[in-house]
Amino acid sequence: MPSPPVARQAFVHGAIASLPLSLAVAPWGLLAGSMAIEANLSPLQGQGLSAIVFAGAAQLVAIGMLKGGANLFSILLTTLLLTSQHLLYGLSMRPVLSGLPARWRLGLGFLLTDEFFALTSQHDQQQFNRWYALGVGLTFYVAWNLFTLAGIVLGQNIPHLDRLGLDFSIVATFVALIAPLVRNVPTVVCVAVSLFCSVLFSHWQWETALVAAGLLGMAAGFICLKCWGGRA
Amino acid sequence: MIWLLIVAMGAVVFLNRYAFLEPRLPLRLSSNARQFLGFAVPGMLTAICGPIIFMPGHQLTLSLFNPYLLGSLVAIALVLLTRSVLLSMLASMLIFFLLRSWLA
Repeated sequence: MPSPPVARQAFVHGAIASLPLSLAVAPWGLLAGSMAIEANLSPLQGQGLSAIVFAGAAQLVAIGMLKGGANLFSILLTTLLLTSQHLLYGLSMRPVLSGLPARWRLGLGFLLTDEFFALTSQHDQQQFNRWYALGVGLTFYVAWNLFTLAGIVLGQNIPHLDRLGLDFSIVATFVALIAPLVRNVPTVVCVAVSLFCSVLFSHWQWETALVAAGLLGMAAGFICLKCWGGRA
Repeated sequence: MIWLLIVAMGAVVFLNRYAFLEPRLPLRLSSNARQFLGFAVPGMLTAICGPIIFMPGHQLTLSLFNPYLLGSLVAIALVLLTRSVLLSMLASMLIFFLLRSWLA
């Protein structure tokens, strides 16, 4: 356990490291807040989504499904599938996090977002600093909730904030995260099948369009991997 | 109903995040399950983007002059060229909003 000044320094380093991603999430946070209002959630419920769920993609999709009249079960199933990549993050960070005391495991586990993973996963057991990780995670959490609050306030005062094209920030972020991953045939197949099916199923107005398209894409990629062994 | 949904969603997301951090969990994913889940990021994130790009305003838009499509292509090109996620996000957002005001 580092001494208090060292811990504070590591925390500040983590907070600074997560600033760019915390700012880049602004349009998305605004959207999450304003869309919650647009979907007739109360301001407290809108903020509660960001404070309790803390998963941008799942929140926005859930709000969209809620607006479309989807039932509780299908929203939860979609949430489960949409956030299943966190299982892999957890598995990958198991060596550094599972040995920590329970309050650190639970706390950092709650803060384990895509962005948190991107900034802390390259550290091995020697380099890993729990205070640095806490700085990264908490900064991102505070930023996400502040931008959500801004979205709730703006959404109540400026109508049709959802027509400003703020949703492009999701596309810009995800495309920037996906494109570097597309390095082999199975991933190309996965992305192509998922893209085609998501548009087709949404056009058919399936309630489960995103889940079905995502699973089909994943299955297509997996089958491809099994048949071709992942050769490029 | 809404609060139930919010708390249940929070529990589902937290379980996904925490499951493999629990030291008492002896279970390991089979290699097949891991390979399948390895496609979760590209598969699920693409499925979220698809309708946003090709169905702005819930209308199927297959035109090339769709700012969402052009913005995405710019983002792909930028991230592959610069390897900087932040730069390509910010630059493609800027270009998207410019295109949007021109093409609207």
